[in-house]
Amino acid sequence: MKGPGKRSLRAGLLALCGLGLLHVSLFTDLCLRYVKEGMRLPLVASGAVLLLLGIASAALDRTERTEEPHDHSGLPRVSWLLLLPALSLLFYAPPALGAYTAARQPAKIVVHDSDFDPLPATSPLPMTLSDFTSRVREDRGQAIKGRTIRMTGFVTPLPGTRDGEWDLTRIILNCCAADAQSVKVRVHGGPRLPADTWVTVTGTWHPGGRLGTKSAPVALDARTVTEVPRPSNGYQDALPLG
Amino acid sequence: MQNTGVLVEDGRPAAAGDEAGTPAPPRYWPVLLLGAAVVPGGALFLLGRWGDAPAVQAWRTVCLAVTVQALPFLLLGTALSGAINAFVPEGVFNRILPRRPALAVPVAGVAGVVLPGCECASVPVASSLIGRGVTPAAAFAFLLSAPAVNPVVLTATAIAFPGNPAMVLARLLASLATAVVMGWLWLRFGRAEWLRPVVRHTGHQHGHSRWDEFRRGFQHDFLHAGGFLVLGAMAAATFNVAVPRSVLDTFAGAPWLSVLFLAGLAVLLAVCSEADAFLAASLTGFPPVARLAFMVVGPMVDLKLIALQAGTFGRAFAVRFSAATVVVAVTCSALTGGMLL
Repeated sequence: MKGPGKRSLRAGLLALCGLGLLHVSLFTDLCLRYVKEGMRLPLVASGAVLLLLGIASAALDRTERTEEPHDHSGLPRVSWLLLLPALSLLFYAPPALGAYTAARQPAKIVVHDSDFDPLPATSPLPMTLSDFTSRVREDRGQAIKGRTIRMTGFVTPLPGTRDGEWDLTRIILNCCAADAQSVKVRVHGGPRLPADTWVTVTGTWHPGGRLGTKSAPVALDARTVTEVPRPSNGYQDALPLG
Repeated sequence: MQNTGVLVEDGRPAAAGDEAGTPAPPRYWPVLLLGAAVVPGGALFLLGRWGDAPAVQAWRTVCLAVTVQALPFLLLGTALSGAINAFVPEGVFNRILPRRPALAVPVAGVAGVVLPGCECASVPVASSLIGRGVTPAAAFAFLLSAPAVNPVVLTATAIAFPGNPAMVLARLLASLATAVVMGWLWLRFGRAEWLRPVVRHTGHQHGHSRWDEFRRGFQHDFLHAGGFLVLGAMAAATFNVAVPRSVLDTFAGAPWLSVLFLAGLAVLLAVCSEADAFLAASLTGFPPVARLAFMVVGPMVDLKLIALQAGTFGRAFAVRFSAATVVVAVTCSALTGGMLL
């Protein structure tokens, strides 16, 4: 049976892989759940190459060359595993990493290298979670004291703690979702929301320890908590919109 | 019994189609396609029902992420290997490389600088180099050094460790030393029978179009290596989800233990060599030598690489070579780190 059937299978497998990659990178934003924005172009190119290979294989591999010792027409059995990611990308794409992953990691260690600039006067002040963390733990000038801050992230509930305490979270990638790290800000107050809900929180620093040193808690007393739509590229510590 | 009957019935018209010269699918392919469509979904559905659904989702996300991130690099590597196989005349590499294998090894190791990619690309390229007559020891030195010392990876390391150029230098030297030592070890102790005969890299055959040979070799290598990549990604995702990051900090105290622990972690995590510097930088509880070991071992040995090597060179080779590489890499990074960091 090692004949035309096997060749059409191979062509189909190559084309499916190509279509899967094109589907997540060119036609939709799904690839941003797995890799960084910069990988989009290589993914589109790879998808196109694989699709072309599949078409070429279907069109050109009509002549069998089985008499030769180096027979390229066989389909290695392990190749079937490629069907899993291809079909998964096309029909059953898993969601981006969220509260489950963040809850099982310690918070990423944020280090601020240069001096702190004075904070702008706007209120509430939009900030990233990393910025807030370094301001709380490293800014000896305590510029954040008494300021109203606004930050956006998703909800990671804390099991076993008092009501009204949860982690505002962002997951950050270096390369792909396998190396995800999370930045977290403990939020006191606000409604009890389900895990992975994206919210914008305004509030003030939750006092404790000595501000500007490692003893200060990276925490916020929430004044308002509003639900927001998930940003299309969730794996970055960006400023809140609006 | 009923199933067999259906298969036999299905088989007959297909065989008749073959005789008539028209392409007909083999009798088992609807079964395969149906199985491929239903079994993973069904298994995941049951898993999601039975187990911790977010855990399964995180596993699928990480598994897909490793695969998707690596595929463009794998494609680049297999295209390059197909091109070397079809377009480069036999003997070219032997004219460039020094005649004595003991000298060819360090030259090939340094030549790894030119392949700007991560580790997935280097396996098929090394395989096609052997097919083109390069001595295996030199090809393995290239295989180990290419993902670790190329400019992209060194730049990423410099960015991940700002104000610490010693780390970049240590990574470069330790990786090169490991690659060269492994090449020499192979010259001294390696046996040809551990290597699966690389039948498909036979080079250009007279009377065939080079482009056609390129395409066929390319697609065959990609399908083959891609399958093993998925296998490795599954293993890495399992570890990634099953072992929470907080466990790692318990090992940070003891210096020697932490070196061995981070080396082992590099094998299990299978992070791309372009990203591992950032991860190493984030493991702040560990001494610099341990983080160096993480960055030296990672691009040379990890779960997806072992799977790729087993597929390309054979299991007997992959097991011995990976085990020896871990030992040499840990030693080299401990020595280099002790001197520089």
